[in-house]
Amino acid sequence: MDIRVDTRGRESGPPGYFEDADNFLMPLAPNTKSRRIPDGDFPTGPEVGTRLPEVVAVDQHGHSVDLHADRGGQPAVLVFSRSAVW
Amino acid sequence: MDAFDAAGVKLYTLSYDEADALADYSKAMGATFTMLSDPNSDVIRAFGILNTLIPPDEHPWYGIPFPGAYVIDANGVIVAKFFEHNFGARTGPERLLDAALGRRFEVEPAASPAEQVSVDVILDADRLLSGSIHEIVATFRVPEGQHLYGEPVPDGLVAATIEVDDVLGIITFALVAPPTSQLTLAGSGETLEIYEGDVVLRLPIAQNGRTMEKVDGKRYVDISGRVRWQACDDVECGLPQSQSFDFRIEAGFPVLGDMGPGVGRVPEMNGAAHFQKLIDRRK
Repeated sequence: MDIRVDTRGRESGPPGYFEDADNFLMPLAPNTKSRRIPDGDFPTGPEVGTRLPEVVAVDQHGHSVDLHADRGGQPAVLVFSRSAVW
Repeated sequence: MDAFDAAGVKLYTLSYDEADALADYSKAMGATFTMLSDPNSDVIRAFGILNTLIPPDEHPWYGIPFPGAYVIDANGVIVAKFFEHNFGARTGPERLLDAALGRRFEVEPAASPAEQVSVDVILDADRLLSGSIHEIVATFRVPEGQHLYGEPVPDGLVAATIEVDDVLGIITFALVAPPTSQLTLAGSGETLEIYEGDVVLRLPIAQNGRTMEKVDGKRYVDISGRVRWQACDDVECGLPQSQSFDFRIEAGFPVLGDMGPGVGRVPEMNGAAHFQKLIDRRK
């Protein structure tokens, strides 16, 4: 998959603000280092209908968590987010 | 979060942050869900969603994923996933919970049989934060023997749909609809896409921060539009119908970590120190 950066955007709204191709307004241009959005397709990982891959990672309390074991047979939501810091 | 607990759905987030940053974040925000730390982006890579728009030498951004969410059932099978084209928008909690509970397109049986089509339109949120995707949910009650149309429809018929007035700052996405069934006309042999019985349509919607109106210290957005449909039975078709809706809903910006400005206004999570660590850790 050839992934390109969407560079469409223009200054708009309050001073220093930019509007991207979908009219989202942010204080950053769409192709700023921390804010690159794809122009077209990008990978979205495992498909619907398949088993969620194993996830083992340390949680905020420093404990190792195995997601499938930890959820104890309950349905679950796993959100991949950018960062809790920025 | 209470809604997730009450429904018996576990919520996990995963990011490339260090565990101590997640600890400070969850303390500051009062987050009770499990936040997973993937500082080397191992899990992100294993899922194949490492954000390759960012080159490896670009600290501290390199290592983040293409953002999205997976919803799994009790057996661990992915039943839905939500990845948005524009990273300025993320799927809101109500959509995730509805997907986890498999209640995207189900309709409670009506107390009494309908005599004509009626539509109930709601917005699935009490509050619309900028960039958080919610849904306008239209539930059509369809009398027995009648049907509505889905896309594509031939000229002269109207497919059931939700339209939102074009307002600067209100963004809509592709309509989400259940699968149609096929009706083949005896005369022409033409096949139509139809909904038999009650049907739920969902229009994802977000606000991008440009349209909020401030009243008495609170912000609001207005969302107006209409649902359209045409009901037919095997013999004849009714006229195209529409019903307007108009929501005024509280709105705002998401609360971010304390990266500098905003002291006293945002929960303190030692953000600047954690950010410095992100910059330094791969040097």
